[in-house]
Amino acid sequence: MPRYGLVIDTTRCIGCHSCRVACQNQQGLPSDRSFNWIKEKDSGKFPAFEKEFVPLQCNQCENPPCLRVCPTGAIYASPEGAILVHENRCVGCKYCMEACPYKVRMIDDHKGISVKCWFCIDLVRAGGEPACVSTCPTQVRIFGDLDDPASKVSRFIAKHRAQPLRSDLNTQPKIFYKRS
Amino acid sequence: MQETAWGWLIISYLFLAGAGSGAFVAAAACDLFAPDWSKALARAGSLVSGPLVAIGTMCLFFDLEAGFWQPWRQIYLVSNLSSMISWGVLVLSVFIPVAVLYAAALNDISVVGRFAKRYVRLLAAVGSFLALATAGYTGVLIAVVNGVPFWNTPVIPVLFLASAMSTGLAIAMICAAVIDINTIRSLSNLALGHLVLLTVEGIVLMLFIFISLTRSSEAAASAMALISGAFSPLFWVFVVMLGILVPFALSAVEYYEYGRLPKSLVVAADLLILVGGMSLRALIIFSASPPQII
Repeated sequence: MPRYGLVIDTTRCIGCHSCRVACQNQQGLPSDRSFNWIKEKDSGKFPAFEKEFVPLQCNQCENPPCLRVCPTGAIYASPEGAILVHENRCVGCKYCMEACPYKVRMIDDHKGISVKCWFCIDLVRAGGEPACVSTCPTQVRIFGDLDDPASKVSRFIAKHRAQPLRSDLNTQPKIFYKRS
Repeated sequence: MQETAWGWLIISYLFLAGAGSGAFVAAAACDLFAPDWSKALARAGSLVSGPLVAIGTMCLFFDLEAGFWQPWRQIYLVSNLSSMISWGVLVLSVFIPVAVLYAAALNDISVVGRFAKRYVRLLAAVGSFLALATAGYTGVLIAVVNGVPFWNTPVIPVLFLASAMSTGLAIAMICAAVIDINTIRSLSNLALGHLVLLTVEGIVLMLFIFISLTRSSEAAASAMALISGAFSPLFWVFVVMLGILVPFALSAVEYYEYGRLPKSLVVAADLLILVGGMSLRALIIFSASPPQII
């Protein structure tokens, strides 16, 4: 069984929000809802001003704080390592939203359950890639099997020493970033 | 992206569960150690304890989303014993009946009271343990949340426990005054309780702020928001002045000028402690800032 992960190269991101729109279309989300965001980080002063775009979504942590605090056991890890939610078990207590350090969870207004990015696991199981990955016009994102050292994503992470966001929190994310 | 998931309903729960369990401990302590002059407080404290915690639990219920519309889903709430909510559901569902039985015993309510009276010592002991568990749990609930660095410290349960005991004593005293206003003179003995509990609460609050200032940049940002930032007027006025210092001063006068403080001021001190306890929880919830992730 593969263990899916993603590497994001922020040096290539132009902040066009295609990934966000693709995600909204794929997941049928309204325009004010999304499972991914582009955070902006400013640094320096004119003329050496820099803006970095950092796409953010659920990190599919190996050690997920949301799963640990979920009282109903609705949050679980799929065999591929994606963190999913049992739609019929979640009561909407929002403990997972508080526990997530990346603050990527939200309540689905219709179902009343906690939702987030799930690596488009339906597309992936059918042999495709998550919508944000296949849409990105500047190829910021590489998706694949982290357990296969020959996969594109593993080689990219190894070559550029890509790191997850806030690895000190010990959440062990499966999304890595090359930021310089 | 929603940055805060919990609001007033959760804050009300934290406050009501704390005050209810504190009232139980106050009632049990009065009944066990000073049954001769503090009967009104033991009766009043035990009477309000169960209902307060039950109303708090209703707040949790109203805060649910799918579990509110489809209540049968709540059967799953005890599925994960590494979740504090699962533990909370277990503790609450035992504590509320015990508190109701204890109230029935102390107030001689119907046949239930006569039955419970035979086990009144056992109810007091088990209930006190569960009350401390409930009050502590409200703190542990948010202290284990590593998505909010400001809360993620073992000082929070201690702070909430101290605040729960002082708000519990306060609400028990108010209700004792409602049952029997003449009891208020004898209640001056309990002003010492307020002095001790408010001192402990003040010291733990100070430790919490000091530790937060150095723990991490996010915790420091939240602490700064309380002491000098956006929330500082509310923090200094409602939590420190009205919630701790004024009731401390009133309780000190009440204790040393035994029974000569006007009754209205005695009740005012108790009401202010309640305002302080609610404000403390609200400000801790609202000043939470998420980790700096990028």
